[in-house]
Amino acid sequence: MTVTDWVFLAIALVTLFSAYRVVTTHKIMHAALWLGLTFVGVAGIFLLLGADFLAAAQVLVYVGAITTIIIFGIMLSSVEDLRGESFDNVWKRLSSRLTSSRRGIWPLLAAVGLAAAMVIVVSRGQWPASPHAPALDTPRLLGEALFTRFVIPFEAASIVLLVALIGAIALALKEERTE
Amino acid sequence: MDFFSAMHSGLVSAGWPLWLANLVPPLVKALILLLFILLNCTFLIWMERKVAGHMQRRMGPMRLGPHGIIQTIADVVKLIAKEDVIPAGVDRWVFVLAPIVAFAPAFAVFMVIPFGPNLIAQDLNIALIFIAALTSFVVISFLMAGWSSNNKWSLLGAMRASAQLISYEVPLVISVASVALLAGSLSLQDIVRAQSQSFWYILVQPIGFLVFLTASLAELNRSPFDMSEAEQELVAGYNTEYSGMRWAIFYLTEYANLITFAAMASTLFFGGWSGPGLPPFVWFMIKVYFFIFLVMWIRWTLPRVRIDQLMDIGWKGLLPLSLVNLAFTGIYVLLR
Repeated sequence: MTVTDWVFLAIALVTLFSAYRVVTTHKIMHAALWLGLTFVGVAGIFLLLGADFLAAAQVLVYVGAITTIIIFGIMLSSVEDLRGESFDNVWKRLSSRLTSSRRGIWPLLAAVGLAAAMVIVVSRGQWPASPHAPALDTPRLLGEALFTRFVIPFEAASIVLLVALIGAIALALKEERTE
Repeated sequence: MDFFSAMHSGLVSAGWPLWLANLVPPLVKALILLLFILLNCTFLIWMERKVAGHMQRRMGPMRLGPHGIIQTIADVVKLIAKEDVIPAGVDRWVFVLAPIVAFAPAFAVFMVIPFGPNLIAQDLNIALIFIAALTSFVVISFLMAGWSSNNKWSLLGAMRASAQLISYEVPLVISVASVALLAGSLSLQDIVRAQSQSFWYILVQPIGFLVFLTASLAELNRSPFDMSEAEQELVAGYNTEYSGMRWAIFYLTEYANLITFAAMASTLFFGGWSGPGLPPFVWFMIKVYFFIFLVMWIRWTLPRVRIDQLMDIGWKGLLPLSLVNLAFTGIYVLLR
């Protein structure tokens, strides 16, 4: 095994373990922090593949923005909302979750859909992926690709983000009015 | 750097395995940077107290050494000797990890700062994004410290600090983006070289610099934007429960970030290490210390803003200003 393999193994183990802790830890705040560590691990794997720009963007967006927003969300939620109904019996809990649409079916469907999409992506890829020759000027290449070949998806994504932004403002304004 | 490649080839010829020899030069560089941070921070803490003193017509620390120059060292010894207190009821792991999460990124940022034409630990071509990414860890560390302390002052301070940091990160990054647009590169070394071949970017980016300066003051949690540790309302903010060495690491991080800000300001807008006559490193340090003094001057001159004023300045003032500046910079670059 080369040094790169060892480093990959270490990063992969950290990533997998923290991802496992996200779903098993009992404190929701800890789950958010473990999630942040998972994102950092994924950024490390990007770095190993020579995608330095992607790694920096991953940390900037996922650790800097998303994890922070999740922690904010946890801190601003009421305790009852976080705990949910508590049942000692696992099966009772499971059945109550599955019958409620907010906590059961829709999240389950979304998770199954995501899992299916990931299985498709993984099965279509060629493994092991051959590492590309590290590009010297990744930001320039990325910028050129985004504004020529992928300009329509890129602009579509920015419109989606704009809609989300306006939606968030509208929601916040509505809450202010009802107060 | 020549010295480090010589060190590397020397180690390889001495029979060290290649991976170990590869590891040594970066470690030595990191050690040098750590020493640089520690020495400068020690000096800066003394300087801050002296500047504060003289601004208020006092002398500042005078007892230890000439003009109190050894005062900080005595303080550090005191902090190291203090009992390591972890209060009952805190979330132990998160509490212990928070200062580390704060300091490690602040330290790693120094990797891409150009101290001279060849004096840089690693010239990354994504340096600006690298810095933006690493500084975003600060919010997490504040939230970790504030939440794990199990104390309402800490939590309030952490919430304020993070709201402030998130608001001011946007205009900060946009103002930096206009400089990157002018230089045509994200590497700090390229930006300095572009300026030494033409002119300092402050000439075409006065608005960008003002936005950068104001947003940086907020990012540094410094007065007039030191809402997060407004001592009259919040005791000390997110680090209320910290003491001894753990508190010292937060303090160290604050001053390391101050050096980073001054280095960024001089690199992006004032030509970095370039300048006539003196050696590049001296020019760089002169500029860095000028900006550090500027920040201290502002801190001891202006009163603190209110939290609603803070949000207004960020979202209604700086953000539109930085966007307009970016648009005009784009037009300028196209027509150039």
